[in-house]
Amino acid sequence: MATINVNGVRREVQAPGDTPLLYVLRNDLELSGPQFGCGIAQCGACSVLIDGKEVRSCVTALSEVTPNQEITTLEGLPARWAKQKGISAEQAKNTLHPVQQAWIEEQTPQCGFCQNGMMIKATELLEGNPNPTLAQIKVAFTTSGLSPNLCRCGTYVAIIDAVKHAGEIMAGRR
Amino acid sequence: METTNQDQVNVFGATLSRRQFIKAGGVLVVGGSLVGPRVLKGEDAKPTTLKNSLDASLPSSWIEIHPDNTILIRTGKNDFGQGSTFTAYPQIVAEELSVPFEAITTVVQGGTDCTPDGSGAFDFLGDGMPNIRKVAAYTYQALLDLASERIGVAKDKLTVKDGIVSGGGKSISYGDLVKNQQLKLTIPVRGNLTGIIGLTVDGNPPMKPVSEYKVIGKSVRNSAITLKVTAKENWATDVRLPGMLHARVVHPKTLGSTLISAGELDKSKFPNSQVIVKGNLVGVVAPTEWEAIQAAMQVAGATKWTEWKGLPGNAKLYQHLRDEADWKSTPVMQGHANKGNAESTLAAAAKKLSATYQLSYMKHAPIGPTMAVADVKADGTVHIHTHNQNPQQLRGEIAMMLRTTPDRVIVHAYPGPGHYGRSNGGNAGAEDEAVILSQAVGKPVRVQWMRADDMQWSTQSPASFSDVQLAIDEKGKMTAYQIDHYMPAMQDDRLIGAVLAGLPTMPAPDVHSDFITSTMNNISDEWVYAPVPNVVERGHGTFQVGQKASPLAVGLRDHSMRTPVQFQQNYPRELAISEAASLARADAIQFRIDHASEERAIGVLKAVRDASGWDTRPSPRPDAVSTGSTPVRGRGVSLLYRNLTYWACVCEISVTPATGAIVVERCTFAVDPGIVINPVHLKRQVEGGAVMGIGHALLEEVMFDESGVTTDDWNSYPVPTMADLPEIKVVLLHNPAVGKYGGGSEAANALAAPAIAAAFHDATGKVIRRLPMKPAYVQAVLKT
Repeated sequence: MATINVNGVRREVQAPGDTPLLYVLRNDLELSGPQFGCGIAQCGACSVLIDGKEVRSCVTALSEVTPNQEITTLEGLPARWAKQKGISAEQAKNTLHPVQQAWIEEQTPQCGFCQNGMMIKATELLEGNPNPTLAQIKVAFTTSGLSPNLCRCGTYVAIIDAVKHAGEIMAGRR
Repeated sequence: METTNQDQVNVFGATLSRRQFIKAGGVLVVGGSLVGPRVLKGEDAKPTTLKNSLDASLPSSWIEIHPDNTILIRTGKNDFGQGSTFTAYPQIVAEELSVPFEAITTVVQGGTDCTPDGSGAFDFLGDGMPNIRKVAAYTYQALLDLASERIGVAKDKLTVKDGIVSGGGKSISYGDLVKNQQLKLTIPVRGNLTGIIGLTVDGNPPMKPVSEYKVIGKSVRNSAITLKVTAKENWATDVRLPGMLHARVVHPKTLGSTLISAGELDKSKFPNSQVIVKGNLVGVVAPTEWEAIQAAMQVAGATKWTEWKGLPGNAKLYQHLRDEADWKSTPVMQGHANKGNAESTLAAAAKKLSATYQLSYMKHAPIGPTMAVADVKADGTVHIHTHNQNPQQLRGEIAMMLRTTPDRVIVHAYPGPGHYGRSNGGNAGAEDEAVILSQAVGKPVRVQWMRADDMQWSTQSPASFSDVQLAIDEKGKMTAYQIDHYMPAMQDDRLIGAVLAGLPTMPAPDVHSDFITSTMNNISDEWVYAPVPNVVERGHGTFQVGQKASPLAVGLRDHSMRTPVQFQQNYPRELAISEAASLARADAIQFRIDHASEERAIGVLKAVRDASGWDTRPSPRPDAVSTGSTPVRGRGVSLLYRNLTYWACVCEISVTPATGAIVVERCTFAVDPGIVINPVHLKRQVEGGAVMGIGHALLEEVMFDESGVTTDDWNSYPVPTMADLPEIKVVLLHNPAVGKYGGGSEAANALAAPAIAAAFHDATGKVIRRLPMKPAYVQAVLKT
């Protein structure tokens, strides 16, 4: 039995401590944002935020996560934004995170299987720097994590467009 | 309107019938009736009717118009990231019906029990005439007939705007036309539901004139993107059935190994797991995914396989293909453009190019490995939940494997990672294994391939080589062009689980005329240089490498991949044309223009020249350098015609001779698909394809030894990252005079490689002809 804090809710999980967090999130908690892409931290499809830092859930054991740490998945991005902006819980239900808004506005995904990780990485980047340069965006998506975030459909132009778009929303410039 | 009896109306060969008046609701549903012979040779003309299908001859198959003016459409085509079923398809239907895009509120796709027509997730626009377009056109005519009858105005005096039919001072909405009635429109269809092409809508209903288009041409949004971005999508990976077990498959040690003994399960560690052995298929099932993974690893370590060495390995691949592969058993295919006498012209040529071009094996490499949930019920019915480019064909193949009939098999289709062609023949990899294991344990089973399974046991795009000879006369004109393409069979749709388990499946690629499993190598690169007087294009085919030697009959299994065959044939052609331009001391774009006659081909070449800021001159550049640690720059061009679309591309690169590193700095695309249906989505597809094409050019190569594929992860099979992204410029040439919709999602991946290789020659003066252009190979080329 382990207790973890996922998207602002404390969850009791019956799984061995060495279980990768990805399987706990998908199978025990029935979250569909993080995806299994490689299982060895080479692609980023499984990414979640832990205390605001992008983490590969496929190589993070359940036992490595403490109950005080805040896990945010794609599902939790709207509430995360609402909390940061002081939006009421009622309003928050109809709110999307700026990253999600921008990903829709820019029509970024193709198959979309990697985009969970892309949006998680974008959130990590923009929370620290809502006005990144192209070079900073490229660093974030290639060398800042355990591996580059890979998109086999090749949507990198659309991701960059969406990161800039989301940053403008987050900084109040849009 | 021709009334054939009291309740039936003939609508351009379709039949409109009123079943009954009903008190509430009402609907017009559009189905099909089968006519004519099946598409594939050797099959009888009996219509395909399968239980648990949305039979195209029955109501509610294609389009439903509801009393509230909403519209539902269904298609057997399953989205794999192209977005067409959520953008182009509803746009086409809205256009033909003259309703707003927003009126189409539901798109049902893919599932074998809820869509009418089957076929693979490729060629969505079907040479400008996808099924859904004709269906909508028939429906529009039927609605006009209904309105004419209702408001008493002749059909040719009616106009439609936003779903409201008007004439003679009166008007009525589509919703009111169907209210309280059950109307059925039966349209003619032909084909084989579980074949690779599926059913095709027949006949020639009148189409809306292009000049009246209002919805096509707008960048409407893809509704699936919203679901995916907000975590509301129901992915194949999300499917969980009651009592479902998780499974992993222990694949053989080599591509020719047979099982000696399956490893014994350590029950002290994995008390809830179970090992299933069927022939050479070893599966491990467990109630939780983590236990299944760990137990499978333990069992894999203890499983004994025979050794096998029957592959040439990377180092000897091209020597094997050239000298040892059997090119004699398979008939040589001739190009449609062949003409004149290339041989004598080449013999007398003033200047001549004679060269060989080589392309590596490549993986489709979906970003998520294949997975499926299968539920084989006690009564023999089979439900498969998966992400597959051709659910109807999978259904037929699973029925064959189980020696049952397709009506017992239902494939439920869900979104998932892009496959880029790998499963367009119905085989993604895990489905049949899930069925075999579910049947063995009597419970639903979820098979998830791990990353290494997906790299090592999936099909790949075959390696190939081409020999080119061409002649240039004294005036710099190309007078003869001869190319011989050599490529192992590209389409192997056998179910790998069935092969391993020794169960029935499709035949291995062989010398026969069924195009799906034939070793024949068709000429698929459309010839675009019509003025060249002497042309020979020949395609030579053979068996898959290792196929004959492997006790499993698998070898390096191949499958069509994005722009299949044409990529393998266009790369050598376009690079050779650039080399020919250099021989003629001509500019590479102007040389192409001078050897083309089709206006649209010339149009994309001029557009890409303008948009890229191309400086007209011969290659290599005057100051080309092949040594040193200072990057040198060059540019190259490529041209391709596919699915009614003309493409031209300019790539600008830098090469650092000392390290062999090539960086693509700018890519410019000009695309003329005829009618542009959705500019934003076409642009996004081109951008994505461009990135994939850079991967094909610089990075992608399946590594294998004498026993099997050694590429097993993203380090050993690198694909482009954001760091590899050049500046990409896309110029869309909307060309309504063409009157058709060319395919724009696919071919962008084929343009970069020949343009990059030509740019390398421009920069360095050295000719590079093999893909991928990895640094070590580049350095070796620079030293020649």
